[in-house]
Amino acid sequence: MRSGYYKETLVEHINLTDTRLQRAWIFIGLIALVAAPYFFDYYGLSLVTLMIITAIGAMGLNILTGWTGLISLGQTAFMVLGAYAYAISTESWDWSPLAGFALAGLVPAAASVLVGVPSLRLTGLYLAITTLASAFIVNHLVLEFDDLTNGSSGIFVNRPTILGFSFDTDQKFYYLVAGFGLATILACLNLRRSRIGRALIAIRDNDNAARVMGINLRTYKLYAFVTSSFIVGISGALYGIFLSFVTVDGFPFLLAIEALAILIVGGMGSIAGAILGAIFIIGLPEVTSFAFSAFGDRAQSMFATSAHEIKGLLYGLVIILFLRLQPHGLMGLWQDAKRLWSLWPLRY
Amino acid sequence: MRFTTAIAASLLLVSPGALLAQDQGVTDTEILLGEVEPLTGPPSLLGVAHNLGVRLAIAEANANGGVADRQLRLIAEDDGYVTSRTIQSVRKLISVDEVFALTALSGSGQAIASMPIVEQFGIPTMIPIGPLPPLYEPPVDNIFVVGQSYTEGMRQLAIYLAETYPDMNWGVVLQDDDYGNALHEGIQQAMEEVDINIVYETEYARGQTDFASEMLRVRDAEVGVLIAGGIISENIAMVRETERLGIDPVIATFWPGRVPEVLAAIGEASDGIYSVDYVAPIQSEEGQAFLELAATYLTEDEVGRVNRYTMTGYSSTRVLIEAMRGCADDLTWACTIERLQSNAPLDTNVMAPIGFGEGNRFSNSEVTIMRADYETLSFVPVD
Repeated sequence: MRSGYYKETLVEHINLTDTRLQRAWIFIGLIALVAAPYFFDYYGLSLVTLMIITAIGAMGLNILTGWTGLISLGQTAFMVLGAYAYAISTESWDWSPLAGFALAGLVPAAASVLVGVPSLRLTGLYLAITTLASAFIVNHLVLEFDDLTNGSSGIFVNRPTILGFSFDTDQKFYYLVAGFGLATILACLNLRRSRIGRALIAIRDNDNAARVMGINLRTYKLYAFVTSSFIVGISGALYGIFLSFVTVDGFPFLLAIEALAILIVGGMGSIAGAILGAIFIIGLPEVTSFAFSAFGDRAQSMFATSAHEIKGLLYGLVIILFLRLQPHGLMGLWQDAKRLWSLWPLRY
Repeated sequence: MRFTTAIAASLLLVSPGALLAQDQGVTDTEILLGEVEPLTGPPSLLGVAHNLGVRLAIAEANANGGVADRQLRLIAEDDGYVTSRTIQSVRKLISVDEVFALTALSGSGQAIASMPIVEQFGIPTMIPIGPLPPLYEPPVDNIFVVGQSYTEGMRQLAIYLAETYPDMNWGVVLQDDDYGNALHEGIQQAMEEVDINIVYETEYARGQTDFASEMLRVRDAEVGVLIAGGIISENIAMVRETERLGIDPVIATFWPGRVPEVLAAIGEASDGIYSVDYVAPIQSEEGQAFLELAATYLTEDEVGRVNRYTMTGYSSTRVLIEAMRGCADDLTWACTIERLQSNAPLDTNVMAPIGFGEGNRFSNSEVTIMRADYETLSFVPVD
């Protein structure tokens, strides 16, 4: 009886896929991704699009928090910078959307150096508070430089046309977002199995031991900041296009909490966990609303009219439950299920 | 033929609006309306009150036979005053709940952000909160804005104060956003008509809670007329700070914070504060009649939460319902929009008659200058 998969060589360890079953799941996932617009209605497709955008942001945060162990509450700052970089370059300066997306990654990446350098000696709560401050600073700067950012009035963002192909409908925009989602997954998987990825995880597990092994903590921590912010900036640009309007109000502080909740619920440090967490957190209010509807119009109406508070309660409850009962998140549950399937009827 | 069919099908696929029938939300017995409001958190002070007004208009209409023998039902979505949630809620209301019309799109910023979606679908939409010019200039066929612009309201208030209190030093404290910019523009316009001597002007970041520094500057500059351009908590903080410092300038606030809760929170120092609004004060004859109407259809607890936003919600929804009634035999979006445009101005008794026209999607409601009466926690029109 097979009791699990064992990797015996370094090559096996760094392969992107390791089993036929895994490759089959990836194939099914890709088909589902391509077919989604044909199965979902307008609202459903907008939810799936939002899930993918959120997953991209979560994968970005995962590099910093999940792999390197640096807790950040400043992700909204990098999202705002990405969204404004794209909006200003494409709408005000008439740059091409591709250049806009590049700037949406580069501007937050550059800003993360400014945030990262003073934060290099900080960890835990101290770092969280420092990054949180950056979110407020960025919002203030956006409002202050209103000649460039249009201040609190915000900027309308049109759907992009890339290489002559217009992503002007929700279906087409979905495919653009899905493309960015796949590119992010591949980038993260490759980064994870590279020397840099292993160094980041070594820093997370024990930074003193990592330093003794010759890992330059400052360089690699900054690398984590820059890479994470680049990806989060791209997700900010996509979010701005999704909303069709960029303003600081569109990026509330709750997004930073949601991002951390996604990592905790999905499974800290796991790319698949970040994706599952995004699906879970974005889908949770919809599933709850659906459950409420089973109790009649009044219950559904109560959910709709108190959605914001109920959503906050649900996030809190889910985080507490996962931290208490399943610290490894949904990926932990999946591993447990696989283990049970392989070893049953034995317990261990 | 097959090619033509394929083209038509493709067009349907790429155009979400085209997928929807024009009379969605209408059954043989019911008409579904929807709105997005901040119903939880601090901004719920306006959202809940507005929602009560919409529900009052619907209850009144239902008691009088509904629209074409159909009862009206409202789905209210809470956005917590967060733009991204407003947009998602608008999408849900239109495509999942399939409402026939929208009675509100939350605050002004949220409404502006939602405009592309609402315009894309062509659903009849009323906007009775935060009537900023981008919502009606240029006019969008299916979006109807009820009220008056902040700029025009401020202009009239500033002119009144300049004429009533001539040769005074003015202090102006404004929020650093669209709202503050609109008030600033209104004061600038007034300065073209009357003499206003501004000796102290500053902006504050939204969410600021301590105004000790600003009010010290007001005291040092010997300000006689203070424009407190906050919304709710900011105005409370500013007025209480002037009281603490022992200064007594003429203070003017604006309609977003013209609610009894603000007067109660400020205390006796709120007595005599100026304000401007396009909605009748609660203590006026029209306001009392409105309270009686509210008591007929709302619970006692709900009547206690009635404020100016209840009146704006009620009035704009009445206008929408009257337009729908005019389309009893042809209850479609096109007919409702046409009726909203062509109906004679409707007098709801709590604000000036509301009407629109060809190329005009803004009611441009008349404003009244008023003063606070702490004893009744209300405002009284001046002369």
